[in-house]
Amino acid sequence: MKPPPFAYHAPTTLDEALQLMAEHGYGAKVLAGGQSLIATMNFRLAAPAVLIDLNKIPELSIIQPTAEGGALVGAMTRHVQVEQSELIARTAPLLHATMPHIAHPQIRNRGTFGGSIAHADPAAELPAFLRAVRGQVLAQSRRGQRWIDADDFFIGLFSTALEPDEIVTAVRLPAMPARSGWSMQELSRRHGDFALVAVEALLTLDADGACDDVRLAFCGVGEGPVLATAAAAVLQGQRPTAEVIEAAAAIAASDDVDPHSDVHATSAYRRHLVDVLAKRALTAACARAAGEEV
Amino acid sequence: MRAVGSSLPRFDAHAKVTGQALYSGDFNLPNQCYMKILFGERSPARITHLRLSAAVASPGVLAVLTADDVPLNEYGLILPDQEVLCGRVGGVVRSVIDQVLLVIAETEAQAAAALDLIDIGYEDLPGVYSIDEALAANAPLVHPERGESNVLLSYKIRHGDIEVGFAQADVIVEHSYTTHPQEHAYLQPEAGVGWVRPDGKVEVIVGGQWMHEDRDQIARALNLPPERIVVRYPAIGGAFGGREDISVQIVLALAAWKLQRPVKVQWTRSESIRGHHKRHASVASAKWAATQDGRLVAAQIDVSTDAGAYAYTSPKVLGNLILATLGPYDIPNAHVDARSVYTNNVPGGAFRGFGSPQGHWIAEMQMNHLAAALGMDPVELRMRNLWREGSELATGSKLPAGVTVRETLTACAKAAGWQKLAAGWQKSALDQPAQIAASPLHGAYSLDVGHSHKARGIGIATSYKNVGFSLGFVDECWATVELHGGADIEQVVLHHAGADVGQGAHTIMRQIAAEMLQVPLDKIELIASDTEQTDNSGSTSASRMTFMAGNAIKGAAQMALQLWDAEEDRPVVARYRYVPRPTTPYDPETGAADPNISYGYCSQAAEVEVDIDTGHITVLRLWSANDVGKAINPTMVTGQIEGAVAQSVGWTLLEDFKQERGRVLTDKLSTYLIPTVLDVPRQVHSIVLEIPDPQGPLGARGMAEMPFVPTAPAIAAAVYAATGIWFDDLPLTPERVALKLAQKNRAVS
Ligand SMILES: Cc1cc2nc3c(=O)[nH]c(=O)nc-3n(C[C@H](O)[C@H](O)[C@H](O)COP(=O)(O)OP(=O)(O)OC[C@H]3O[C@@H](n4cnc5c(N)ncnc54)[C@H](O)[C@@H]3O)c2cc1C
Repeated sequence: MKPPPFAYHAPTTLDEALQLMAEHGYGAKVLAGGQSLIATMNFRLAAPAVLIDLNKIPELSIIQPTAEGGALVGAMTRHVQVEQSELIARTAPLLHATMPHIAHPQIRNRGTFGGSIAHADPAAELPAFLRAVRGQVLAQSRRGQRWIDADDFFIGLFSTALEPDEIVTAVRLPAMPARSGWSMQELSRRHGDFALVAVEALLTLDADGACDDVRLAFCGVGEGPVLATAAAAVLQGQRPTAEVIEAAAAIAASDDVDPHSDVHATSAYRRHLVDVLAKRALTAACARAAGEEV
Repeated sequence: MRAVGSSLPRFDAHAKVTGQALYSGDFNLPNQCYMKILFGERSPARITHLRLSAAVASPGVLAVLTADDVPLNEYGLILPDQEVLCGRVGGVVRSVIDQVLLVIAETEAQAAAALDLIDIGYEDLPGVYSIDEALAANAPLVHPERGESNVLLSYKIRHGDIEVGFAQADVIVEHSYTTHPQEHAYLQPEAGVGWVRPDGKVEVIVGGQWMHEDRDQIARALNLPPERIVVRYPAIGGAFGGREDISVQIVLALAAWKLQRPVKVQWTRSESIRGHHKRHASVASAKWAATQDGRLVAAQIDVSTDAGAYAYTSPKVLGNLILATLGPYDIPNAHVDARSVYTNNVPGGAFRGFGSPQGHWIAEMQMNHLAAALGMDPVELRMRNLWREGSELATGSKLPAGVTVRETLTACAKAAGWQKLAAGWQKSALDQPAQIAASPLHGAYSLDVGHSHKARGIGIATSYKNVGFSLGFVDECWATVELHGGADIEQVVLHHAGADVGQGAHTIMRQIAAEMLQVPLDKIELIASDTEQTDNSGSTSASRMTFMAGNAIKGAAQMALQLWDAEEDRPVVARYRYVPRPTTPYDPETGAADPNISYGYCSQAAEVEVDIDTGHITVLRLWSANDVGKAINPTMVTGQIEGAVAQSVGWTLLEDFKQERGRVLTDKLSTYLIPTVLDVPRQVHSIVLEIPDPQGPLGARGMAEMPFVPTAPAIAAAVYAATGIWFDDLPLTPERVALKLAQKNRAVS
């Protein structure tokens, strides 16, 4: 199918884009990589009256180090640029490990970092990643700008804390904390498909080797990226023995997620995957935090 | 360079790669209008009212055609049990495949808009949605007019004395099996154009597998003589059996005939998936017996297939399937009962392998189970029972000469690490797990913890598949060769109707003609486009086209060369009809028959890696040994092997066609998953044997279905080797595998 008619604007500066957003608000949608938006328009699941194309605004396509040792990623940075970035590989190894799981190379050539975050697909990896690392989203409008914590940004199925006139312009990734370890685990039916379940884990061990600040975020199992708080509570202050990790993974599966059933998998199987993948992710993250090679 | 045996490029490759080749959806005729089809929404249901006025009055609409507009409103490749259009008050929808009515408008958008304005009411009828439901006592009948039960037809084989056989048994294995439907998922959804030519003939430009049969089915429904219909096949984007039955052919001709204007139709992917048949689902139980030394003594099998709401090719598929349930083995005592059953599901029908994959899923899994029960190597057990030259089928006839299943198993087993020792065949203890280089493209699956949760195993299976039409069908294939020139042959015009569905048949035909006539390939012009300029050549199916067309072209070429020498007149024209050796139908009580013209053989081994927690299976390496008789074009042979393997691995592990009360839940390629290039085995080793088929042209055998057939049981054996668990139900989705592995772990701990 083809999309219904729409007006099209291609601003060349951010100011111009924000002006257009202020004018059109609810009826407008931002066009980033178009990998999700165009498909939903063609299926007539979305019918924006106005498209505001961000592809001609070069300053939105950046990857920069931050003073704190993290990274700042512009919203229009393509997935492939993130995947191939030396800076990201160094400062955000969890993100580096995540990128190859997102779709196929062709889609990563067009799809954008900010588009994936703003789209808030519950099966997408980047929202879960952003929650795991406590990233922040920069939202800008004619009215000003604000930083939104990842935990506050994702509010439900394909919905975020963005106001109708706001654009995501950048995402800030904190530096990896000391004595921290990370892991990303995923199962999809085919290469490049959305995950049945994926997990993004970042945790820190204290001086005694006990778990401190465990961040375990899932995609594919809820209305948005799901932070496993019950599982984290099991680990908090504990030395991560196999038994403790197993108990935490089991709690993640039973208490933290409420997965749906569809043609690809039942809810029960997704729950099983949460258990399996959480165990693997926690094991690997703890090993990394303890300085082991994995 | 000789024409035959050379990997010559396909004559149409350049046009296809550059986009110049025209497929049926690419044709546009002056003044054409567009058609949309209303499909049945509920299955089964009776139409209680049908009001067309709003649709008829809608902008651009030229006509709405219903059942009342079809001259002879019934069709079917084998049985005319389906209406062309079922749209009339009181009409019955039996499956979502049913075409209710046609809306024709100036534009496609107008036709689609008017479709939404059709006011149709349904009264649901009681339906049956599985083989068990259809066979239950007092089950609602899918076709009450066709008798007292939902059984479309049944066959049996009675060979030897089954009681005596079981009495000799040292070991008996008894298991139940199921297989699932498969969607063809060819690149090109159904599309075409129909028009009435200035000479009054109705021409349909469409993709199919047998243009003369399409022509005859159109003529019958339109009540016109076949000479008034012309079917034209341009480039065809895949078929795999899915274009054997009618899809848009009759309705295109009907609409063009009624409107006297060119009419175009183009199905969406969803229309394609619900609008044509699928590989049959099947359920079976099997009880096989062997002596301690691994000699098969008895086999008893009961198998049913889901025909869906209409016959399509179910009777023929069942004819192949029943024989395949016994595998390529000498079994002195065998009882097989097979039936095909009407349900309100999407019909089952032709699909690469044509019943042989379902049959071999039973036979080869029984052999796998027997090998395990006997503690015998699976290759050794098979070698002790495989057919030999001169073996007899369970139907009492001798196998045609050229029985080479042992040669394929030998080649496959050796390549996959087996050795023949004094004590018999053994998997070599030296075989190390494959060191498959981790390619960056496969990186997405590499988990960043150790690989302790991965288990590897290798399994093997063997198979056969008939070549050509079976069971008493009088198969034929025509070819006409014109030789132009003076003293020397300057040009050859070859007329042949065989459809090139993307497999390269038209290149093969040229190669065979060039070889037989000893002329360079570029002197050969092939006319294969339509029913007006060719004679019937039969279907591109049953792995028959190289075999049949090759023999027909060989015959016509030899005849033409004789005429060339004997006569002065130029050009010379030789028209030749090849008729293969006759076959006979099954005896209704015993199954006695000489069922098939010829056979092709294939053995495969698969190495898998199973994630024992998630249940995800990856095929690392697959060896496929095929006797092709003579590889007319070696590159195209390996292309067929690799393509078949991609499709069979998809069927075994990934593809999961789902219906709910006859409605298709997986009508998109995002819900019906087929393998991408990253999901097929990382290595496919094609082992091509060339042991001539005495009946084949230049020794060639049919080969394109065979490499589909043994894959599933080879993978299941590999999964058993890796995990110690048998899976008797397809597909091996991660969910199903994980569930059983978890059950086993619980039982152990
Ligand atoms: C076959 C296929 C497989 C895929 N598999 C995966 C996968 O495995 N994992 C995964 O995570 N994703 C997957 N994707 C989605 C892909 O990553 C998309 O690129 C991404 O989700 C959206 O990014 P985009 O730049 O294409 O956004 P677009 O499609 O252009 O936009 C998506 C939505 O976000 C809004 N938006 C975009 N940018 C901004 C902005 N800066 N500010 C405010 N709103 C904005 C748009 O208005 C629109 O509503 C897949 C896509 C396809 C087609």
